Amino acid sequence: MRESGRRILAVAENTFLEAVRQKVFAVLLIFALVLMGGANYFAEFSFQEQFKFLKDLGYATISLTGLLVGLLGAAQLIPAEIERRTILTALCRPLRRWEFVVGKYLGLVSLLAVMLGIMGAVFWAVLRWKEAQLIGMEGGEAGVVQAIQAESRDPRLWQAFALIAAKLFVVCGLAVFFSTLATSTTFVVAMTLMVYLIGHLQSVAREQWLDSGETAAWFIQLFLAAVALLVPDFNLYSLIDEIVAGNMVPWRATLEVLAYSGAYVGVLLAAAAWLFEGRDL
Amino acid sequence: MSRAVSLALAGGLILGWGALKLPWEIRMTKDQRLATVGFSGPTAVAVREKLGQGLVLGALGGFRGLAANALMLQAHGAWEEKQWVRVRSALEVATLLQPRVALFWDLASWHMAWNAAVAAERYDGEESETRRRIEARKWVEAGRELLERGTRAVPEKALLFQRLGDLYWQRLADYQAAAACYREALTKGDAPPYLERFVGYALDRAGDKSAALDYFRELRRSMGENPDLARKPEVVDREIRKLESEIQGSFGGRTR
Repeated sequence: MRESGRRILAVAENTFLEAVRQKVFAVLLIFALVLMGGANYFAEFSFQEQFKFLKDLGYATISLTGLLVGLLGAAQLIPAEIERRTILTALCRPLRRWEFVVGKYLGLVSLLAVMLGIMGAVFWAVLRWKEAQLIGMEGGEAGVVQAIQAESRDPRLWQAFALIAAKLFVVCGLAVFFSTLATSTTFVVAMTLMVYLIGHLQSVAREQWLDSGETAAWFIQLFLAAVALLVPDFNLYSLIDEIVAGNMVPWRATLEVLAYSGAYVGVLLAAAAWLFEGRDL
Repeated sequence: MSRAVSLALAGGLILGWGALKLPWEIRMTKDQRLATVGFSGPTAVAVREKLGQGLVLGALGGFRGLAANALMLQAHGAWEEKQWVRVRSALEVATLLQPRVALFWDLASWHMAWNAAVAAERYDGEESETRRRIEARKWVEAGRELLERGTRAVPEKALLFQRLGDLYWQRLADYQAAAACYREALTKGDAPPYLERFVGYALDRAGDKSAALDYFRELRRSMGENPDLARKPEVVDREIRKLESEIQGSFGGRTR
């Protein structure tokens, strides 16, 4: 077991270092610039609106950047290794295939975690910068300062951040799953993106399927059932919208979504490992 | 392991997990809707019916906030150009996309009941004052309707009840309704301290001076011996004295 862990870590470390060398960190600069630009773009609105716009922009940019890193990173993982034949060198060592899959996933998730950490720090800095700017503009009245600080230092923002990270980790799990099936990087990117988009409609499909009864045609029911059963419900992560709106979101609900994400990733990796076991290389 | 076996195992696992996760997802969705107090906002299907496909993907793809903000910016531009119908449609969709954002309802109703209504009142292309007033009233009603829906979408916050009270007071001169809205706002826990006096002011404006006096007396009693100065006890005392003298005056006038 310990040996297994060591081998997984070695693959993860290798994957992480390989990904870092691919200049992905350049996108972080773009992220920071977008956020800085966005922070000043909405200056003619009230401070509540400015923070709302800024938070939406920040989370959307983090989500989009994370999604791109996850998709492109995962697409490079296994199909590219097969294409370059480097996978044969790796697997002829005492390395089990499932260890290879889990190591690859952990490497990718580590890269994503580092990027999320940096983006989170930039986001936090921009919020504090905006806070100072607004306090300077609105004057030093205690009530206004308190209201501005409540917006920029809202601890619930970390809740939203955890939800974004969990969602992206599930997307990475999906990408790793498809990469064990695929022979091309385009297939992995297209399939993961499709499931990501359908995942936001999964709850609609599920409700339609469960409520349609006998009224819908069998093929429609079959399609809706397939979406409900096979696709993750990405609408569960829309708690982020509630947090940005300044509404209360209980930690219990957040933790449950995090647990769901963890379980989903576990299942995806187990299925990916089985698929990879039977694959001819 | 053969390819067929590995495919069967992976497929079985995914399907089995699908069956397991389904009740979990249903319960979490239900819990999340309950946790957002009284939320019965539009479902994704309603959004889909209302919007174009591209925007739906934005709305449902985790970027709903950005889409709603873009609509608010569009409404802001239309407001600057005094394109009131465009302001209204953009804001309607923004509130539909993010019904739990109180700010959107507030801003949307302000544009309708104040800006658009005042513009209609002053519109120099219509000579008839009656027609101008009817048109203005329609905009005020649109603002009121938005706030009514907003209070149902965000029932746990004082802001929209307060704004609805303001609208009844300032745009419809319905002071009793305003007092009822302010009372409701005060039950929410995040109402500003000055709002508690507004119930009394509204009752006074409605002509129900004895109800206003009773309210202010009760309010003063609730402040206790050592009142919080932020609640302005001296203003409440002044209102009590004013109302007492007005009521006495009116009785005196009648008996004379």
